[in-house]
Amino acid sequence: MNLHEAAWEGPRGRRRRRFSWSGLVWSFVYPERGHRTVPTAPGLVLIFLALGIGTAAYNSSSNILFITLSLLLACLILSGVLAWLNLRGVEWRLVLAPPLRAGQETTVVLEVRNRKRFLPTYGLWFEFNARSMDDAAAATGHTLHASGAEVRRIFSKAAADEQRARVPLAHRLDPESEGRVEWTFRPARRGRVRVEVCAVGSLFPFGFLRKEAGTATCADALVWPAPVAYRSKPVAAPRRRVGGDRVARPGTSGDLLALRSYTPGDSHRLIHWKASARSGDLLVRQFSAESAEGHALWLRTDAAAWGRGEQFERLIALAGAMAEELFRGGRLLRVAINGEAPRPMRRAHDLELWLNRLATALPERETPTAEPRVANGAGTITFAPDGKQGVVAIIGGEVTAWA
Amino acid sequence: MGLIPPAPRRPHLAAEELQHLKWLLGGLLTLISLGAVFYLDLEALMLTGVAALCTLAAMVRPRLLARVPRLLHTLAFPLVTAFFIGDVWLRSEVLPAMVRLCILLLLYRNITYRQRRDELQLIVLGLFLVMVAGVLSVSPTFAVQLLAFAACALGLLLAITLAELQLTPAARAPVPPGETPMWARRAEFGHLIRRMRAVLDWRIAALGAVLFAGVVGMSALLFLSIPRFQLENSMFLERFIEKKAKTGFSETIRFGDVTEIQQDTSVALSVDVSNVRRIPASPYWRMLVLDSYQNGVFRASAEQRRNEFDPERAGTIAPGGLRPRRGEATYWTFYLEAGVSRFLPLAGAFQTLTFQEAQHFRVAPRLAMVALREEPVTMVAYRVEDFEMGQALPDTRFANRWSARGEQGTRAAEPLVRLALSDADQAALGEVIVEATGGAKVVPADFVRRVGEWLRQRHPYSLKPSIPAGDGDPLVRWLRSRESGHCELFAGSMVLLARSAGLPARVVTGFRGGSWNGYSNNFTIRNSDAHGWAEVFDETAGAWIRADPLDSGLSEAAQNLHGEAAVASRLDRSWKARVDSLRVFWYRRIVSFDQRAQAETLRGVKDATRSVTQELRARIGSLFERAKTWLVAPWDLRRAFGSAAAMVGAGLTTWWLIVRGPALWRRLSFRRGAGREDPVRREAGRWLGRLAETEPEPDHAGVRQELQRLRFGPRASWTEPEAVFRRARKTCRAARPRQRPGRRRTTITRP
Repeated sequence: MNLHEAAWEGPRGRRRRRFSWSGLVWSFVYPERGHRTVPTAPGLVLIFLALGIGTAAYNSSSNILFITLSLLLACLILSGVLAWLNLRGVEWRLVLAPPLRAGQETTVVLEVRNRKRFLPTYGLWFEFNARSMDDAAAATGHTLHASGAEVRRIFSKAAADEQRARVPLAHRLDPESEGRVEWTFRPARRGRVRVEVCAVGSLFPFGFLRKEAGTATCADALVWPAPVAYRSKPVAAPRRRVGGDRVARPGTSGDLLALRSYTPGDSHRLIHWKASARSGDLLVRQFSAESAEGHALWLRTDAAAWGRGEQFERLIALAGAMAEELFRGGRLLRVAINGEAPRPMRRAHDLELWLNRLATALPERETPTAEPRVANGAGTITFAPDGKQGVVAIIGGEVTAWA
Repeated sequence: MGLIPPAPRRPHLAAEELQHLKWLLGGLLTLISLGAVFYLDLEALMLTGVAALCTLAAMVRPRLLARVPRLLHTLAFPLVTAFFIGDVWLRSEVLPAMVRLCILLLLYRNITYRQRRDELQLIVLGLFLVMVAGVLSVSPTFAVQLLAFAACALGLLLAITLAELQLTPAARAPVPPGETPMWARRAEFGHLIRRMRAVLDWRIAALGAVLFAGVVGMSALLFLSIPRFQLENSMFLERFIEKKAKTGFSETIRFGDVTEIQQDTSVALSVDVSNVRRIPASPYWRMLVLDSYQNGVFRASAEQRRNEFDPERAGTIAPGGLRPRRGEATYWTFYLEAGVSRFLPLAGAFQTLTFQEAQHFRVAPRLAMVALREEPVTMVAYRVEDFEMGQALPDTRFANRWSARGEQGTRAAEPLVRLALSDADQAALGEVIVEATGGAKVVPADFVRRVGEWLRQRHPYSLKPSIPAGDGDPLVRWLRSRESGHCELFAGSMVLLARSAGLPARVVTGFRGGSWNGYSNNFTIRNSDAHGWAEVFDETAGAWIRADPLDSGLSEAAQNLHGEAAVASRLDRSWKARVDSLRVFWYRRIVSFDQRAQAETLRGVKDATRSVTQELRARIGSLFERAKTWLVAPWDLRRAFGSAAAMVGAGLTTWWLIVRGPALWRRLSFRRGAGREDPVRREAGRWLGRLAETEPEPDHAGVRQELQRLRFGPRASWTEPEAVFRRARKTCRAARPRQRPGRRRTTITRP
């Protein structure tokens, strides 16, 4: 499974623009989208202090007060310049490491680098946000007519669904070096999730102004269904074939499948010395698995049968959990969903694809009633509602698991 | 949630170290603020000292604060409030009470572990103290104090910003009384200094210094360019403070008052003169005229206050009695220090006096006096147009009155002649007059001269005079003795003797002389120049003539010195004068900076820019002209050869700069220096270079990526460097060298 590694981005997006004074001046007049500078409490104190001293200076014509006022204003200007320099040359990219599981903690890594030649960067923070994309996708192209209260409710619900956090880069980022910021969050449900770095901000240097630059850094990922605990009952296996089913999957009992690099923990008896001598790397033999028992899994997401959302989610979770367990035991041969073509389950990647599919599965209005050719001699696991909330897995008319 | 720290080239200050640094900076800030008010006469010396000592102790040993009793924390707010209310109620002075409150709050903030908002409160309180001290003293040291305060406050704010990101919520929580936070337990000066040295990069420190200089420059620019409006309001702090003259120049002077002033060598007055030729050899700066005498005390009579002073005015312009003269006027700009007097020093009758700031004042044109309504709490700047600096002060009104009294035969009733002395004292005075004048009837000028000589012969000058004990008037007792005396006794004796002889006389106090600062070209008059002299009325001249019995130090020729010669005789180029010149610069350029000065500065900048542009243009034109002349001059072989050699030399230099310049620049640049620090990165760079010299193959991508990670990536992402270098060596051996036409060149591209 690949990392979602985005391109490097800076406060001004992915494009690196050459610095120009006119651009700088225009940025004060028309700040870029998402860029804002807000005075903090000390900043407000400074501003009110400056106003008070200015008033007193004009009332009294005291140059002592004018000097103090000038110094305060100069400090404010210095603060702005240093804040600007601090963000200059800083770039970041989001690294999202799947798999993401609903209800399980996931760590998002933001790699930050400082491209300045000799100025360090201090005191940055990053605003992370994770939100489900399923609602957004569903809402695309719709116009919503609602009262103000309803709109507020929708917004508050959307905000509740979001997970936000501000993560600081507490230490100095030296010139021409990189740092990493990690954010751990827990996806609430399966589906598509978008992790965004909404803004990068800083109070540097004196905490007078909170400077924030909006960013478009984001990464999308699929959240697999949460693992669910279920009760299972052994059922009669399908009729065994002579010699068993050979599955092109790493195992220990079959023929030589491939050679691979040695990893710590491998048995020394598996080392292929000749091949190792030829290649210069330590290689071990890998055999295919031989399994005689196998199951096929057919998932029907019939909207009529799975009308309750919670029950449907339980169905998906059970389908995922059973697929994983069967795969680990080497007993899962094929899977299918509704009328889609059956997928053979040979490698871990096949299981990942299946979980990806489950992540986006929705109740369908029309699903085929006839079983696709998933079984091919194996026992086919199907699912049925059990009461208002429960789900059962069935093989050959027998319940084999409850959730 | 957390952070994997980047590969450090320099160490980072930990949160506890930043806390300690904050604590030290806060303490330093407090000390600077307390230092600013230490010299102010606000009756807070004891409190300031206690606060400074406590702050120092807390800075050195922060863990001591855990021993502060819990009760003190509980009662702190009510106690401070009660103290402030009581202070205002008992002393009826708001500003000093506020300053004392500020000091008390600073003290409390330094004996408790501070949170973020406490640090901000510390900065605001400190700024208030520095500002009040600056406004009240208008001293040049204010600039130093303000800069030190600003540097310290910015450092503190920076430390707060950096620490806030590192602090855990528990560390941000207030420390309960009696407990010591972890940073205070581990706080150690030496350790922090060593860590600071390790953390600090000299380039960043230099940049910080440059930026701070930039702030100073920027504030100077802002100061010059902030638009000014004259709102004609009086100084707002004056309403909240009452101040008494430190020097004793008030309406009542006892013997010894002026002598006390003379012990003080601080600057009382600085005077700028627009025309040096008008400067006399021995200038007298009159402040007060004391016309009434009783029991050893000279005072300004109520009659004088009523009759001689004009009604009070408010504003900036005070007209004097002198008529405008022909020719260019001479401007005298005075900078009178706070605490000297509410009576302004003047060199004589004047034409116009203009204050820098609006004042409430009364003018006595015939006495050549100007009195402010209240004792100024700050330096007062005023400019006087033309002085009449002779030894005589014309007074036609008194001349008429004196003449009328002569006709009426009531001269003895004249207050300026009347003496409230016993007959014995009167007789004693008569004997002295006969002894001094030889019994002859003399004109006032001769009388003054002879009595002055008699006094000088009989009484030596001393700052520690003694008046013999006995009955009668103390001044008459001294007069009859041979004891030493100071200017007040000499002047007072002159007045008594003149009045006894039937001549109207009075005492004048002020300053005499002063030094000419050779650096800032101005008169500097110190409190030690305080002086008292007499004025005797000359009926013939219709004027008061100066009668200074101690004015014998200068010969007649020297007394007639004016201008450059007078300046040369008083020239001061000592270190003290150098320091005083800074004060004068501060007064001239900063304190007295107003709308007019702003316009002048702008004009000056404009003129300077114009003149520089013109000069530059002229130089360029002249250069072109010379080049043209050189070109059209006849050419010979030697010239041609020389020119060709110069051109070839210039070309070669340019070529060398183009070819070698970038490498040279890289060698000097910081990047090169930083890269040299890490041998792994250097080695990875070398292998990348070798790999770039081979034919690119798909298998190389992995090794190249790993090498680039070692070369440029964070240390946390490194795999085993030795293994990567082994793979790189193997790849380089197996690979074919890159075939390129022409010169082979290695380029490393950053990822």
